[in-house]
Amino acid sequence: MTGLMTKDFLVMRNGLKSYLLIMVLYAVMAWLDILNFGFIITFIQVMLMVLPITAFSYDELAKWDRYAMSLPLGRGKVVGARYLFVLALTLCTTALGLGGTAMLTLVHKADAVEMLLTLEVSTTIGLLVPAIMLPLCYKLGAERARPYLYAIIFIPTIAFVLLAKAEIIDFSSLSRLEALSPSAILGGGVLLPAAGLAALAVSYLISCRVTAGKEY
Amino acid sequence: MTNCIEIKGLCKSYGDFSLKNINLTLPGGSILGLIGENGAGKTTTIKCILNLICRDAGEITVLGYDNVKEERLAKQDVGIVLDECFFHDTLRPRDVGKILAPAYKNWDEALYRDYLNKFGLPEKKLIKEFSRGMKMKLSLSAALAHHPKLLLLDEATAGLDPVVRDEILDEFLGFIQDEDHAILLSSHITSDLEKVADYIAYIHQGEVVLSNAKDAILDSYGRVGCTAGQLETIAPHDILRTRRGSFGCEALVKDRAAFARKYPMLLVERTTLEDIMLFVGKGEIK
Repeated sequence: MTGLMTKDFLVMRNGLKSYLLIMVLYAVMAWLDILNFGFIITFIQVMLMVLPITAFSYDELAKWDRYAMSLPLGRGKVVGARYLFVLALTLCTTALGLGGTAMLTLVHKADAVEMLLTLEVSTTIGLLVPAIMLPLCYKLGAERARPYLYAIIFIPTIAFVLLAKAEIIDFSSLSRLEALSPSAILGGGVLLPAAGLAALAVSYLISCRVTAGKEY
Repeated sequence: MTNCIEIKGLCKSYGDFSLKNINLTLPGGSILGLIGENGAGKTTTIKCILNLICRDAGEITVLGYDNVKEERLAKQDVGIVLDECFFHDTLRPRDVGKILAPAYKNWDEALYRDYLNKFGLPEKKLIKEFSRGMKMKLSLSAALAHHPKLLLLDEATAGLDPVVRDEILDEFLGFIQDEDHAILLSSHITSDLEKVADYIAYIHQGEVVLSNAKDAILDSYGRVGCTAGQLETIAPHDILRTRRGSFGCEALVKDRAAFARKYPMLLVERTTLEDIMLFVGKGEIK
């Protein structure tokens, strides 16, 4: 399983290097107060969402699945390797996010609570999107599943904006959060990535079911 | 001598195509050549062995293990070279070692590098810069680096020049020197199989129409060249297939010696696997 996860990193090493370079650039810009930290976090989130699907595209191009399923691993482990890749990416980006938060808090006396909460939310979205997309990629293939990625990003966003404009959702209630202590906010916020992880676990089971009946 | 592959009553239907009651045995220390036209069912059979597709009926054991219930054990000592190179263009041969090493408990990195050197494959070169021959050699290096007992090769020599093919065939012959080793080699290039195979199984329209030791087939089967008039004099049960052309007729006979005794006026020659394929694929039953 680790070999297949390594394969994903090796296949996308050039892309990952570019992402890393851009992230360092953004970190410097955040250090210089040119760029908002929230933007960097959002960038990390988008990267998390797109990379596993890109990995599927590369595999389709090489017809890798047929070979991978011929290895003495079993279908569950081949699928598990892709989820391990998502988790490894999440760990890397969360570590980078925490590093950025620490840096900006210590040097610029920035609001750590706000940044950590942003990180928790973005990590959750970064876990939830692959949780939805991976079974779709196994079922439909990367290219046919890709429109669903845009749908699950844009439809909720547009829905939120419309509901807020129609005053069906009242965002002013969020100001109540300010009454809570920072530890309560962050403690509660940890539940979000935990829910993302749970969704990913359910997603893994669905993907296993999809691949169990698939012919290669 | 144990059997490395045993296939009993394998059936698989796709609607417009089906594998019908395939029975095959591959003894240790031998090479079984699987021949047949495009779409005859060779790759489907190999996919069934690798459990890449779900069979409708039948049993398959690989190195003594059930290929579905004990899939991981069955595949642990199997090396695979399929009709294409499945390694991504952006990888390098040394990366392939890193990817496959955790999958096989007997992976031998030194052996893998030996094969890369032997086949002249640069470890650091991108696979996208490799020729087809180099890619197949890379696939073969990867298939051999975990000390497999069984090699499954689907059109592994297709599209390669004679020099590379010969090099790869030599490797196969070296591999089966061990009595525990065996190779299932699916190929259109019947001359390759005539060189290295011990057994031949011919799959035609999803059925095994011929399965025997290669030498027995080539020693026994014969090709008769004759006129249309002479063909009419041959009893239908003495010939398997006929082909009629503008310059004469040909017939395939199962027992060359017996035919020559019975029809001394007709010339019967040794046949090749390609001839047999052409007779079965394009010929008619008299």
